[in-house]
Amino acid sequence: MTAIALDLTSVVDLTDEQFSKLCQTNPDIKLERTAKGELIVMPPTGGETGDRNSEINFQLRAWNKQNLLGKVFDSSTGFKLPNGADRSPDASWVKLERWQALTPAQRQKFPPLAPDFVVELRSASDEIKPLQNKMQEYRDNGVRLGWLIDPQNQQVEIYRQGQDVEVVRMLEASAKRSPSTLSGEDVLPGFVLNLQDIC
Amino acid sequence: MTAITLDFHSVVDLTDEQFSKLCQTNPDIKLERTAKGELIVMPPTGWGTGNRNGRLTQQLFNWADADSTGIAFDSSTGFKLPNGADRSPDAAWVRQERIDALNPDPDKFLPLAPDFVVELMSATDNLKTTQAKMQEYRDNGVRLGWLIDPKTQQVEIYRQGQDVEVVRMLEASAKPSPSTLSGEDVLPEFVLVLKDIF
Repeated sequence: MTAIALDLTSVVDLTDEQFSKLCQTNPDIKLERTAKGELIVMPPTGGETGDRNSEINFQLRAWNKQNLLGKVFDSSTGFKLPNGADRSPDASWVKLERWQALTPAQRQKFPPLAPDFVVELRSASDEIKPLQNKMQEYRDNGVRLGWLIDPQNQQVEIYRQGQDVEVVRMLEASAKRSPSTLSGEDVLPGFVLNLQDIC
Repeated sequence: MTAITLDFHSVVDLTDEQFSKLCQTNPDIKLERTAKGELIVMPPTGWGTGNRNGRLTQQLFNWADADSTGIAFDSSTGFKLPNGADRSPDAAWVRQERIDALNPDPDKFLPLAPDFVVELMSATDNLKTTQAKMQEYRDNGVRLGWLIDPKTQQVEIYRQGQDVEVVRMLEASAKPSPSTLSGEDVLPEFVLVLKDIF
């Protein structure tokens, strides 16, 4: 569904505690905050997007259970990025050493770090430009691998550190016999996302 | 588009000035506030709803100009209701003498419940929520309220001290004359033609 940006900064500067409280008292709404302090308000997603998102999280979690190299987070998790933004990727993964380096209090709250890996899944009513900006923000804040999955256009944008965005068209891949897949590369060793039920 | 209710008051209680400022700094978003202090955030409407709403406003303004006993308002206008809620009906009208009695600051929200309000449903609006809003208008003294739902081709009419009347427009439009709504004794001689709104 459409995300709405609400500029609160002229009226009130929410502390991290206030923002966290706002998220808790509005559990049905996904809230993010830009580095400039604007509130991003997102209504619950439709069923189709929820199903696809659940599939991504399921596959990522299954891979992680076998390797135990890190922690998987679902779309309800907030991260405090180095630039000050509060963001909730649709799926994410943090390397175990980085997670263990956090204090128990930091783990309890929105973890103050950029995940190693993030996924954003575009829903039919999402505009592509704000999602691309979000992916660039993730990369600028240190996310090593990011996938912007766009089922509508059957394509995936791959964001890597120090590289241009790679656009992979899934139609071409699915023309082959094998189902289309994405590789976790060196960030998620051995992880292969099967896009059959997603794109 | 879907309105989102954000419970804000657990974190910060916005003053009327702060709420007004928030509206000004977010001109693309329609904001309301419930009596409990929840913020209602509404993204811009689709073009279909925008056009229907414009036609509705056009007819009301044309009548109000000719009638000249009151002032009509478009959907960007905020009203501070007696119960404390800040609401923006899709169209509204207020008798001139009520405004004269208050001598209100034109740069602020009008601190009263309009005599007449219209809410126009868009495809993604929730009927239950809009009905609750209409009841709130009535409870706060609005004398006539129309909830127009183009999708189901029906109008709910809210009047003081009466049950809601539901008018199905399909039946009316089967006749040769276009379906219309009467302004009753609140808007004397006003007749809304629903042809381009439904």
